[in-house]
Amino acid sequence: MGKIEWAMWANEQALASGLILLTGGIVGVAGQFRGWQFAAYAVAAGVFVCLLEYPRSKRAKGTSVERTGQYCFTVCVKAFGPLTRNYYVRAFLHAAICVPGGFMLATVLGCVCLGIASLIYLAAAIRGEHWEPILPRKEIRKPVGESIKNPPQNPPPRPPPEMRRKQAGDLEKSAYDNPMSVTDDE
Amino acid sequence: MVVSVRSWVANEGGKHFVLILWLGVNTWLFISSFLLYFTGQEYHYLYKMLGLGLCISRASASVLNLNCSLVLLPMCRSLVTFVRGTRTISSRKTRRLLDKCKTFHVACGVAICIFSVMHVSAHLVNVVRFSVRYSDDFPALNLARYRGEDPMLIILTTIPGVTGVLLVLILFLMFISSSYCVRMSNYEIFWYTHNLFIVFYVILMMHMVGGALKYQTNVEAHPPGCFRANQSSTEQQGDELDTSEEEERRCSEDAHFQPHYPQTWLWVSGPLCLYCVERFYRYIQSRDPVTIVTVIRHPCDVVELRMLKKNFKARPGQYILLNCPGVSSFENHPFTLTMCPTENKETLGIHLRVVGDWTERFTQLLLPEPRIDMEILPMAQQRRYPKVYVDGPFGGPSEEVFNYDVSLCVAGGIGVTPFACVLRALLDGWMGFRLQRLYFVWVCKELQSFYWFAELLCALHHKLWNENRPDYFNVKLYISQPDSLQILRTPPTRGRCFTDREKLQRSLKCSCWHITLRAQPQHVFQTVPLKACLRRSTAHSHQGCRLVGPGGSYFLMKLENPTNINVLVFSAAHRRASPGLSTDCATHLNTVEQHSNSTKSRSAD
Repeated sequence: MGKIEWAMWANEQALASGLILLTGGIVGVAGQFRGWQFAAYAVAAGVFVCLLEYPRSKRAKGTSVERTGQYCFTVCVKAFGPLTRNYYVRAFLHAAICVPGGFMLATVLGCVCLGIASLIYLAAAIRGEHWEPILPRKEIRKPVGESIKNPPQNPPPRPPPEMRRKQAGDLEKSAYDNPMSVTDDE
Repeated sequence: MVVSVRSWVANEGGKHFVLILWLGVNTWLFISSFLLYFTGQEYHYLYKMLGLGLCISRASASVLNLNCSLVLLPMCRSLVTFVRGTRTISSRKTRRLLDKCKTFHVACGVAICIFSVMHVSAHLVNVVRFSVRYSDDFPALNLARYRGEDPMLIILTTIPGVTGVLLVLILFLMFISSSYCVRMSNYEIFWYTHNLFIVFYVILMMHMVGGALKYQTNVEAHPPGCFRANQSSTEQQGDELDTSEEEERRCSEDAHFQPHYPQTWLWVSGPLCLYCVERFYRYIQSRDPVTIVTVIRHPCDVVELRMLKKNFKARPGQYILLNCPGVSSFENHPFTLTMCPTENKETLGIHLRVVGDWTERFTQLLLPEPRIDMEILPMAQQRRYPKVYVDGPFGGPSEEVFNYDVSLCVAGGIGVTPFACVLRALLDGWMGFRLQRLYFVWVCKELQSFYWFAELLCALHHKLWNENRPDYFNVKLYISQPDSLQILRTPPTRGRCFTDREKLQRSLKCSCWHITLRAQPQHVFQTVPLKACLRRSTAHSHQGCRLVGPGGSYFLMKLENPTNINVLVFSAAHRRASPGLSTDCATHLNTVEQHSNSTKSRSAD
């Protein structure tokens, strides 16, 4: 259990909780249940949580797979700097957001799930993780060597004739040094 | 190119049939429960109070009962392996269905989640209606204590409510942590949360205690909708009824209600007991620690481990679960066997690639770094191997290689391990199988990886050449990252310098094997075996092309007349997740291709 990245799990949980909160809020508002104002708040809170949690963080070790179309969200979330980088902030933010959802029946499930996600974010923050944006890598083109423009004029040097004469007899001994690199091309 | 209907039916028909059967059973259960509560006389009053929410919640509950019981069955691995190995299931097609065990488990799990959402929503509406439509006529029917009781209070003070909330939370945790990215990145989170299923089942069996929904027991004496003499109920029709009808519909007695007998345990207890028995059996089997015989270090971070275990029988292509309490008490890691015990040699061997923290720690325990300050003692005295427990063996689709005429085995990186066992079995005796030709395609990132099984490939190749079957075993080796080849590796000592590739070829002693660089998936699939398979296949009439792994659809398009061809694809990316169940590999050579320098990666799907 040593090297688990809790933030990735917390991110999935928080995104799902945001969706549940949103759905519960829509149901509460549509049915005009008692306390539908909480449901309206839950709709807004759900949308906010989904937008915040949609861009995945870059993993500390290993390949990071980003969600489809997350680049613009990454840019927005990155713009807030340390507020979104730090997981303590996220943990307390989610804990604060989820509380009003607990007052209405339709949104109570989203509230509890978001509370669990906030606890996992707290665990991630204690272990020192932080959010890193996944940005597209700039390709560094390898500078083409100068030698490609000047092909060699002379053939590669060959060993003295007495080594060459032994080719028929012994395959092993007739191998010789090739100072120029010979690459295989398919 | 369109795949012919006959070949599609032969290859894909079985699993689609099972899928349709499962969907059909679920639909039938849903509809019959729905209609029972919609039209049943004993639920008339309850339906009047709760409306459609009652029908939907009960219908989804019966579907949930079925799926909660079915979801456990594919996870009884010993049972599945036993069924796969017995001769009672002699048809290849039926055995192929067993490859899809994990997919079936996932399908049942997803169904549980969807119907749970439906069940919870319907019950939330029911709770609100219990509170709002509190019935004064039939007080026994009510769940709320008074009209207008807060629904949240109703949920939190009744057993079905509290257990329901807990069940939903556990299900939520299990579902989210079994998503693809969490499984791939942090398998432990998935594994530990998924083991909460025991808590889930215990709470599930207590969920119906308390009897929130009641049915009427005396329907004959008190037909629903009948009149009571001294009662003005708002539920009755109205004043238009004749007195004669009133006479007929007079109730002889009051309605009696009784809660349901909990049914869930009837559905769930059977598979749960079976699963527990199987786990107990596996625990008993794996109680003896194995004796580690040798530990060999191979290039590219691979360690071979050879062990001895009493009464251990395995077939080529099976895998084991390794548990090392010195590293972690609860983690079991699957590794495919590369050497099965035979009559001559009883050792079992695995090749494990050091990728994550468990394998790193395990390798450190097996091969401790020699400390400089200690005296140089013979290694045999110094080395103390950790205690290792082996659970298994469990089967996989690669057991079927021998049951087809032509088999194409494609392996990526460390995914070659199932085929290593197959090749060893062929080395022992290749004549007893149905297999007539084996095409072996191995794609690796680096050239040194081929050293893992260089001797085995060579030995088999030579044996078959000597026994006059040169066409039996065809090998194609590919490298996907040729830039990592070091050209001048050893300093020129005697004026001699070979490239890595030449060194490997010399050690393989076969210059007839061409090692191709920069493998492209299409290239691999096009060159090797397809044309040969096609030429061979025209002789056979019945079709049994089996595609295990991704890119299957692409590959199937290329085979015009697939008959009796077995194709197995294993990639390095899924070694951790499920080595024996490679049917769900999401990437094959694309994984290897992505690691290479090419920026455009064409998907072979």
